[in-house]
Amino acid sequence: MSVVTRAWVWLVALSVASTGLAASGLAGPAFVVSVLALAGLKARVILSRYLGLAAAPGWQRGFDLGLGLFLATCATLALAGQTPLTPP
Amino acid sequence: MTEKPDAAALRSLRASSLTARDEETKSNEEHRPGHLPGELMMWVLILSELAVFGAGLLAFLAVRLTDPQGFAEAQTHLHRTGAAANTLVLVTSGWLAALATRAAEAGQTRRLRLLLAPAILLGGVFLVLKASEYADLFAQGIGTETHAFYTFSFLLTGFHAAHVLAGMVLLALVGWLATPKAVETGAAFWHMVDLVWVLLFPVVYLL
Repeated sequence: MSVVTRAWVWLVALSVASTGLAASGLAGPAFVVSVLALAGLKARVILSRYLGLAAAPGWQRGFDLGLGLFLATCATLALAGQTPLTPP
Repeated sequence: MTEKPDAAALRSLRASSLTARDEETKSNEEHRPGHLPGELMMWVLILSELAVFGAGLLAFLAVRLTDPQGFAEAQTHLHRTGAAANTLVLVTSGWLAALATRAAEAGQTRRLRLLLAPAILLGGVFLVLKASEYADLFAQGIGTETHAFYTFSFLLTGFHAAHVLAGMVLLALVGWLATPKAVETGAAFWHMVDLVWVLLFPVVYLL
């Protein structure tokens, strides 16, 4: 199996995992962090395998850092905006 | 005096051989380990697009803080299943485009075109699913000004859909040109569209 095809299998598996997570009814911080972590993994596979950054480790580290900061900010904002589970 | 056909053919063959060697050298230079693969300008475009969509998604999450309940209710009107299917559609289309890049590098013109055709078709599937979601929202009387959630979601997903359409045209163009450099550049744009979607989908549809 080629590197690109293996990447596609990973992307399909991660996408199915995201859908499964959303359908599971899980909520709260665990859901937010899991969903964003899966998105981060998908983005990393696309960058490293589809776009070929695996051949440029320095650039890949830079993109990883940017992606990590973006997802951490998303998680912070999403957790701050979580609707309360029970009405006050 | 007319030239012998054999001599002309030999010269033509030498010329094409030199061109192929030059292409190979150039290709090796472009794939030096540690350097960005492909066109630098395409990476500038990718970074610019990521910055624009990233800022849009962060603004969306920031505005959500002002009305979490309203955003949560509005989100229930979106087509989550269709959006999840669209993720599979785009990553599969990206896979075909990546395989087309390899075929172009191997000089397999027919194969690269056979790979790009379904990649473009899947882009069309993405747009059909997106259009059905929009049609459903409009039928419910929901528009960009109904709620801040929809202002952002229409803006972000609509802008992304415009990129999908542009990517389909670009893939068709590079399939026609069929040179390794063109196909690599077109596929890189397509992967950027794919990359934006995998980040946009959870923020707009799931959180």
